[in-house]
Amino acid sequence: MLAWIARGLRQGTVTTAYPRRPEPAPRGYRGTVEVLAQRGRAPDELAALCPTGAIAVDGAGRVSVDRGRCILCGACVAAAPDRFAFAARHETAARSRAALVVPEGTDDELEPLSQTLAEQARALRRSIHVRHIDCGSDGAEEWEIQALWNPYYDIQRLGFFLTAAPRHADILLVTGPVTRAMREPLERTWEVMPAPKALIAVGTDACSGGLSGSGPLSAGGVDAVLPVDVYVAGSPPSPIAIMHALLLATGRLRPEVAT
Amino acid sequence: MRARRRHPPEATSGLPDYLPEHLQAQREPAPPDELRLVLAPLAFERGVRLLRGAGARFITLLLAELPQPSLLAALALRGDLVVLRAPTGGAQPVRYGSIGAQWPAARWAEQELVEREGVAPIGFEADRRLTLPDADLIDRRLAGLDVFALPYGPVRSGVFEAIQFLIETGGENMPALQTRPFFKHRGMESRFAGLTPDAAVCVAERVAGIASVAYACAFSHAVERALGVAPSASAERWRAVHAELERIACHLDVIAKQAETTALSVGQARFQILKEQVMRMRARLSGSRFARGVICPGGVRCDGAVELDELLATVDALERDLRRDRRLFTATASMTDRLIGSGRVPRTLVEEYSAVGPLARGSGVSTDARHERPYGDYQRLGVRVVTWPEGDAMARINVRFGELVESLRLLRGSIDQLRRQNGELCAPLPRSRSGSAFGWVEAPQGELVIWVEIRRGILGNVHIASPSLRNWALFDHAFPKDVLTDFAFIEHSFGLTPAGADR
Repeated sequence: MLAWIARGLRQGTVTTAYPRRPEPAPRGYRGTVEVLAQRGRAPDELAALCPTGAIAVDGAGRVSVDRGRCILCGACVAAAPDRFAFAARHETAARSRAALVVPEGTDDELEPLSQTLAEQARALRRSIHVRHIDCGSDGAEEWEIQALWNPYYDIQRLGFFLTAAPRHADILLVTGPVTRAMREPLERTWEVMPAPKALIAVGTDACSGGLSGSGPLSAGGVDAVLPVDVYVAGSPPSPIAIMHALLLATGRLRPEVAT
Repeated sequence: MRARRRHPPEATSGLPDYLPEHLQAQREPAPPDELRLVLAPLAFERGVRLLRGAGARFITLLLAELPQPSLLAALALRGDLVVLRAPTGGAQPVRYGSIGAQWPAARWAEQELVEREGVAPIGFEADRRLTLPDADLIDRRLAGLDVFALPYGPVRSGVFEAIQFLIETGGENMPALQTRPFFKHRGMESRFAGLTPDAAVCVAERVAGIASVAYACAFSHAVERALGVAPSASAERWRAVHAELERIACHLDVIAKQAETTALSVGQARFQILKEQVMRMRARLSGSRFARGVICPGGVRCDGAVELDELLATVDALERDLRRDRRLFTATASMTDRLIGSGRVPRTLVEEYSAVGPLARGSGVSTDARHERPYGDYQRLGVRVVTWPEGDAMARINVRFGELVESLRLLRGSIDQLRRQNGELCAPLPRSRSGSAFGWVEAPQGELVIWVEIRRGILGNVHIASPSLRNWALFDHAFPKDVLTDFAFIEHSFGLTPAGADR
């Protein structure tokens, strides 16, 4: 056992300083798709580039991307590099679905939606218990959520704890488009959680259904079943993005970080 | 993939001599390493039975549309993929002698076909619905007042994917267990239809997210084999690099979870650190922590911002750390005591269920698609298959440790070649060709096989035979002498992903 301790100490500290200091994404990281400055009227065919219908061209020929639908496949960036580009950033969470649509969307609700939860967080001295439920993800989101408790992200330093009991939980992380068999377990889990509580849709599948869309097999996103407080776009979102969402849900981000 | 002609072209009319003599089947042309045999639907079950007798391993059963509506069975035999094809002539429902009734390995695959496609195998009996599970259904197998049934899942404790286990227990031991997959069924296979292969690779990547590269590679191989395209050697090397990094991440994840279940916190942290380092290297290589968007039919799309020397330095550092951590891990008695003897899966059971991957190799069955039917860069690299004979959770962890070392060796081999020669990366696909083929890879969870049909450049049926589903069929029998508290150890030692199984 002593050997393990020595081994652990030799490593030194690897933990990120986020959110005290921003965590830059590596060069070339596919964090989000940006719409480059609108140059002239966009052809309607641009919308057909996207396998999940995230690209829209309005009557005036302006292009927008719905990050809540975007699976970051890069088809649009490859086909129209003059209009779309990947941005290397981690923070992809927003408090409303509309705020995920760029360039129009704005997340200007400065008052956090879960004000009560933020008050509770203060009362609990920043001790927030998190529960996760998988409603049909591809499995990658689970890895990124688990990573929050690894030494690199160590979200316990910010007072977030994982709990197995929904009755003990303050925040529910939901992944996947909500498959038919998981709809009822999801509703039951949410019902037994005590108020105040917040729900975070983790990943593009949970935000909009992603590739599964909505149909007999999939509800097409968590908000088709339950009210969502924070949406995290990404396929899958990085651990920093999920951390960003947890901080947003508890109203703990300083404005300069929450841009 | 470069064609390895093991059967000379003139032999297409005859059959290889390892096939059973009485197998009355016609051979038809097929992509390399695929042996397609045509027989009548009513002779189908007999054909599969004869091949099983000859030592074949079951892979999957499916309904195909190309080259004509048929029932297909894919089996692995002596380094070949043997495909039995029975033309159905559009008959509804498709009738043939049940395979799953005799061979447990085929049971779930057949039940899926019965429930989804309405085939009618003669002699098949289902005990409960497989593909649309009911979380509240408690169908006990055991009677008695002192045995209670405990449904575990689909909402799990901790951050785990949704699956349910119905555990019947008297308190300690588990005389009966039912694994219930398909809570996560999203209909991913039907999502391929109507897309071009280039556009569809993003669907393949999202079937099982933790094995994105494996799914994208297997899909791309199938497309390339169906259309007769060969990716360049450099592209195959990049694929091997990404596939081995993915395997390393998956194996480290299993080992870290195993450490977590024994509350070996420092050990858990150590393996999590190594895994995160690999994930970050993958993000820098490809722009995605899961290397999505790299593999495409025809080659790779790669403009990695990482110098190969730097990648090599990461491999060296990983190997150094891994060697020390492995030594500590395997010498920590509080850890190994829980694993040795737990969840013993005898070799006979592995063969009966045609299990694959680290699970099979931990029971002494040497099966690895990279070795059995080598593809891409593995033809040149040559894979040393790691097996352990004991069949317990410790053996499965030891297999993973061994494979980590082997993966690092393979990585070095591919990187060395890439440093010497880094040529063209993506071959264009012919736009209007048609064809059908199987593609395969050894995913971190085991052999993954994908069937694709392409009609004039557009995808039709796609069928995925995932290692997770095939191995989970055996999970019910992995608790001969184990108690309830061993459950988490044994589940983690299987290292499977419900997303891949449920599709």
